[in-house]
Amino acid sequence: MLYSPKSDWFGNIKGDVLAGIVVALALIPEAIAFSVIAGVDPKVGLYASFAIAVMIAFVGGRAGMISAATAATALLMVTLVKDNGLQYLLAATVLAGVLQIIAGYLNLHKFMSFVSKSVMTGFLNALAILIFMAQLPELTNVTWQVYALVAFGLAIIYLFPYVPFVGKILPSPLVNIITITLIAFYFGNESMGIRTISDMGELPDTLPIFLWPDVPFNFETLKIIMPYSISIAIVGLLESLMTANVVDELTDTESDKKRECKGQGIANIGSGLIGGMAGCAMIGQSIINIKSGGRGRLSTVVAGVFLLILVVFLSDLLKIVPMAALVAVMIMVSIGTFSWASVKELKTNPKSSSIVMIATVIVVVWTHNLAYGVFTGILIGSLFLAQRLSQFMFVRSEYDEDSDTRTYHVVGQVFFNSSEKFISYFDFKEAVDKIIINVKRSHFYDITSVAALDKVVIKLRREGADVKIIGLNKASETMMDKFAIHEDPDAIEKFMSGH
Amino acid sequence: MNNTKYILVGIDGSAISDSLVQYAIWLAKSNGLTIKLLHIIEHSHKSEQAHHEGNLTPNIRRELLKELSDEERIESKQLIAKGKELINSAKEKVIAAGIDNVVAKLRHGTLPEAIEDLKDEIAFVMLGSKGKSHSIIDKGLGFHLEESIRATDTPVFIAQKEFTTPTKVMFAYNGSPTSKRAISMITQGNIYKESLEIHVVCVNSDIKLAESLADEAKQVLSQSNNSIITQALTGDTIEQLTTYQKQNAIDITAMGAFSHGKLHGFFFGSFTTKMIQQSDTNFLLIR
Repeated sequence: MLYSPKSDWFGNIKGDVLAGIVVALALIPEAIAFSVIAGVDPKVGLYASFAIAVMIAFVGGRAGMISAATAATALLMVTLVKDNGLQYLLAATVLAGVLQIIAGYLNLHKFMSFVSKSVMTGFLNALAILIFMAQLPELTNVTWQVYALVAFGLAIIYLFPYVPFVGKILPSPLVNIITITLIAFYFGNESMGIRTISDMGELPDTLPIFLWPDVPFNFETLKIIMPYSISIAIVGLLESLMTANVVDELTDTESDKKRECKGQGIANIGSGLIGGMAGCAMIGQSIINIKSGGRGRLSTVVAGVFLLILVVFLSDLLKIVPMAALVAVMIMVSIGTFSWASVKELKTNPKSSSIVMIATVIVVVWTHNLAYGVFTGILIGSLFLAQRLSQFMFVRSEYDEDSDTRTYHVVGQVFFNSSEKFISYFDFKEAVDKIIINVKRSHFYDITSVAALDKVVIKLRREGADVKIIGLNKASETMMDKFAIHEDPDAIEKFMSGH
Repeated sequence: MNNTKYILVGIDGSAISDSLVQYAIWLAKSNGLTIKLLHIIEHSHKSEQAHHEGNLTPNIRRELLKELSDEERIESKQLIAKGKELINSAKEKVIAAGIDNVVAKLRHGTLPEAIEDLKDEIAFVMLGSKGKSHSIIDKGLGFHLEESIRATDTPVFIAQKEFTTPTKVMFAYNGSPTSKRAISMITQGNIYKESLEIHVVCVNSDIKLAESLADEAKQVLSQSNNSIITQALTGDTIEQLTTYQKQNAIDITAMGAFSHGKLHGFFFGSFTTKMIQQSDTNFLLIR
């Protein structure tokens, strides 16, 4: 678990250190914003981001991927924090970590193959929408000055990089934060109705300390936190594995998904034990890291450590940062996460893919739980696939007058969804001597399809024909041996009386 | 040994590569195996142009992917061109030496990965001990050497010095399972068929034990066509062995290698690695 090739750590020192610093600067507003989403003090998100970023560097399976407190997991904690308080959140975080480690040992990462591209796009779009929606409380019932600051902040973020020379060295989100803070401070925050970070709760003023969550250690507690932990564990792994895929693709390297699952678990346990909330990999931050030249494990450590140093020593300065500056950063993250091309592709992609993508988005936005959206997407996608497979199943037949034989040729996949269709191809009214059913180019998958074949054979025999099945392939044959009854007289009796 | 398998020769364009090719010729002439010259295209997967704007623009993923893949494409093309030059010139040398069974190939990834992937086809691996960045007098080992040796279970030849036709082999025998395997391989003449002068050297804190080990090895080895000399020594193993190498002008040191796991090596340092570092001879490592 702890062993990583040296090149993963020190193969890219300069790039990693610089990228890590850029990432740390962008992590701070995000960690604060996600704490606000979860309804906890900013320090909870900041400690979490530190702990997760640093630990995942050692135990994660994807070098260069940034993990910290995230919107996806924060959204799942809202009611737990509201109803039971912070300590239960910490306990739930530790438990989620344990579940993720178990998931790692059970190889659950392999289920990612069910997540299609459409579902993944839906996931990202939904995440972007959720991040944007989470900013709405800061944007409703506020003075015009707040809107002006957010707009100006966004302008800085997108336009500052075009400024010659400095634009390429200074991270524009940081320039945004400093500029907006100075403007707001100069004109006076309170008089203009501008909220600052200090209004959101406590910031870290010390280094984090080890603390066991202060909850009663009993079944009652487990009952409260378990549902939250399960959601957090699943969503955390989904986003982490998807992000790992994105980083794999961008860098043309491979990651160890099993190790990543266990690593996310260990990082969450560590976060919970120093008073941090649960997190996972972050798509936006990981892209910023790659874009900034970060590739190795070192970049993640630098990001975490630099973040902690900044917030602990600059907490007095951080307090006066207007929320408007953070909102601008979060809107940027939302815009960067959303797949704009997917909107254009709605017209060109197959309808089924578009429906899967949109359904994923709708369910997530509705439930605020990315896991529900992903499951919905997978389910709908599977139904479409079943439908498609059924379309490709057909039976053609030919009649040989000399021997009075009708031969049916079955082609394609016969399973629960195509069984009805399979039966409909047979002409039970035709009176012939012999019937051959050639299934060489077909496959019988489940007991529904075997039962359908049984039904056909029995019915045709009942009409007085000699029925022969040829060309059963090995896999279908085992299905047949186990579950078919048309060769067994007693079973046929039972079958016929039952229908 | 199966004749469809081949000798894998790692060509990286370092100072030792020329000499390595000559050793490969020497060996292939004796055992008749095909020589496969392999050059690895190792990507840095690092981007030269880092952007520190720290912002996320719309469609950033697409743009970044395009930018990075374009950049790597250019890098790959250059590396491939360079690699082709290297292996082709090596191939010409092999053919000029009168060996026709030679293939030259390029592969992406790292050397240990390549060895792992080609495992079933390899009969023998030959590598140079220093990576591209080292000159021939440097004591450093190639970056991937240990991992590459661990990736295969075939014998590995490590070229460490300028080519001279080898005549004297020192066989470091300690009675371990890998060194027993080594003995039987040498006895059967699988690796090199012609006769050599083999010095069996046993180092143990107990000189009696060292002597009995040496006898044991000699009995088995004398069944082969090689002339056998034995020597029992006591003291620090590496020191004794390297001194013996120098005193007897040994060309190749044969020994079992990396019998301990990676973790053991991480904490205690690997005997094999230390031995290679402190010797000037070539090595024949049996896994």
